[in-house]
Amino acid sequence: MDQIYLPKNRTGLSNGEYVMITSINNTIEKQKQKFKLYFYNTKNLEQIKMKIIDEIFRQINGLNPENIILTGSFLEPGFKFNDIDILIVNEKKYNSEMLKARIENLTGIKTHILFLDSKTLLSGLASDPLYSLMLSKCISQNRLIFKTKREINYKILDLNLLKSKTLIDNYEQLNGSEKYYLTMNMISILLFIKGKKLSKDIVNKEIERLFEVKINDIKENLLDKQEFLKKYKKIYNNTFNLIIENVA
Amino acid sequence: MNRNKLIEVFISNLANTIVHQILEKAAFDRPEKAEGYNKEFTNSWELAKRYREKINPINRSLPDKDIQKIKTKIANKVNTELKLRISKGYQNINLTLVEEFVDKVLIEMKVI
Repeated sequence: MDQIYLPKNRTGLSNGEYVMITSINNTIEKQKQKFKLYFYNTKNLEQIKMKIIDEIFRQINGLNPENIILTGSFLEPGFKFNDIDILIVNEKKYNSEMLKARIENLTGIKTHILFLDSKTLLSGLASDPLYSLMLSKCISQNRLIFKTKREINYKILDLNLLKSKTLIDNYEQLNGSEKYYLTMNMISILLFIKGKKLSKDIVNKEIERLFEVKINDIKENLLDKQEFLKKYKKIYNNTFNLIIENVA
Repeated sequence: MNRNKLIEVFISNLANTIVHQILEKAAFDRPEKAEGYNKEFTNSWELAKRYREKINPINRSLPDKDIQKIKTKIANKVNTELKLRISKGYQNINLTLVEEFVDKVLIEMKVI
């Protein structure tokens, strides 16, 4: 029996769906319109998401940028995402508001677009843990090269850590997702300073180890306030001291 | 949360916003490099807005005694944070911006 291999991440062809096998010559024109995407740590994305991703890349591709990178909560399993984060790598900037409006109209999902040149992207990857974290799970139009030497810029880390201070003053006002984001930000900075590898899974495991809570409990806001805040303040202060002692 | 407590957390968030803005200027040699970071200071800013909506009077300036208290406390908090960094050798922090930034955020928040 002959076999046909299909990529796991694809638009269309759900399990159990009837398909027609046809000669490539018949579909050559359609194939020309498709483009190959690179998937980084994004397994088994839902079919509907693949369709949305395909459409987004198609829309932006018209601008002919150097690279398009899709990242953020949209690539997490399920449908609890907040928005679609898109990085457009190019020397020249475009009108992001128009593009944002077009994608939001098309998908119905809040979109955040950031334009940056390849030099900024590389320097971000080298010096900013958020870039590493962001690109540890992403889809790009062109292959990404992650081999950058880590350069610790304590001023940037200080700026990034300041965000996480919000949780200490506003515990009651923040929902579970916000608490998780601020905790993840702080722990990724700590791991970055310690020279550890960064990915969302690694950061999540470290959060669970340090706080002795499940990630879902943070996201669902099911925390023991006193216990969590006590640990949080201690880790925040330790991280801040590591930064401030080296900021000069 | 009573009014005094609301004002306290409102002050903390505005102070955090201003510290972030001033450190952003100190950390980046070119303003466009800070673009990706702008999204984040809004975190404290958005929270401050939520608190402001609960502090009466909502749609007009606060009484003079509140304004003075808020102004002084924000400036003190910001200066403390920035001076701590300066004492550790952090370069390029411009303390003269504090007063201007405090006025700016208070106008935007309809405190003044």
